[in-house]
Amino acid sequence: MSDSALSIRLMNLFRLQDLDILIRESEDPDLTSSEEEMGFPHPHMDKLHSARERLAERIEKRDLRLYQKIAKRLEHAIVPVEDRTCLGCYIALPTSAVSLTTDPEQLLTCENCGRILYWLE
Amino acid sequence: MGWSHQHFSGEVIKILQYFDADLFCPDLESTTKDDVLAELTERLVASSQVKDSGLILDMLKRRESLGSTGIGKGVAIPHGRSLAIGDLRVLFARSTKGVEFEAVDKKPVHLFFLIVAPPQDKQNEYLPLLGKIAELVKEKSARDQLQGCESFEDLSELLEERFGV
Repeated sequence: MSDSALSIRLMNLFRLQDLDILIRESEDPDLTSSEEEMGFPHPHMDKLHSARERLAERIEKRDLRLYQKIAKRLEHAIVPVEDRTCLGCYIALPTSAVSLTTDPEQLLTCENCGRILYWLE
Repeated sequence: MGWSHQHFSGEVIKILQYFDADLFCPDLESTTKDDVLAELTERLVASSQVKDSGLILDMLKRRESLGSTGIGKGVAIPHGRSLAIGDLRVLFARSTKGVEFEAVDKKPVHLFFLIVAPPQDKQNEYLPLLGKIAELVKEKSARDQLQGCESFEDLSELLEERFGV
C-alpha cells in the first residue's frame, strides 16, 4: 500500500506516539538489557527527550492536551480501527463515526475508551 | 537461553513469515547512512501496508540517534515500532560497496535487516525476532552466506537451514 494522506495534526501525533514508545522501551530496564545483550547499546537517551520537547512544541496545544490526557491512563493514546472496531478497547464504532474519516481536520476518538483513532487501511 | 530458541505464545518463531520476495534488496544504491535509511524505508513502503513513509523514516532516525544499530562485522539492524505500519515486517538488503553507518566497530556495513513493528504487538513477536536475527549474524558462516544470497530463494533456504522454518 502506498502512502495515504494523513492530516498534519494526526501526523505529528503519530510521531509523538512513536517517539514516546521508543522512549518508554528505551527506559525499560528489561528491554534495554535485552537489546544491549543483542549488541544495541543506548548511550544517547538525552537526544530522545530533547527531540520530544521539540516535537511537542509543533503540536497544537489542544491536541497535545488530549493526547497526554489519554496517554496518562492508557498505554497507547492512538490506535487503529479495523472492521469499524477500535483496536484499543475492541468496541465497534457507530456507523456515524465512519463518515467522519474523510475529514482531515477531524480528530476522531473512540466513544468508549477515548483513544484517538485512525484507519490503517 | 539463547535468542534463537526463544518462544512466544507457545510456538517457536516462524521467522520466514516476516520476510517477502519484495523485501529482498541485494543491490542497495545508497552510500550514506541517511540515504540508506531512506532507501530501505522506500522499499518497505513499496511492498507493505504502510501509512506514511515519512513516519517510518522519522522513527528510524530517532532510533539511530539513541545509538547506532550497526552492530559490527558489517551488519546493521535498523529497527523500531511505528503506528504507520500494520504488521511486523523484515526487509533484507545488501550493499556491495559498504556504507559508513557509525557501526560499533567503525567498519562499513554490507548487510542490513530492517525490522519495523506496529505498537500493537500482542503476540510479542518483535523482540524475539530481533534477537534471532542479531544472533544469526554473529556467526561468520551466516554472514558469508548472506553475502552470497543472490535471490530471495537463497535467503529463504538459508533461514530454513538455520531456523528450520
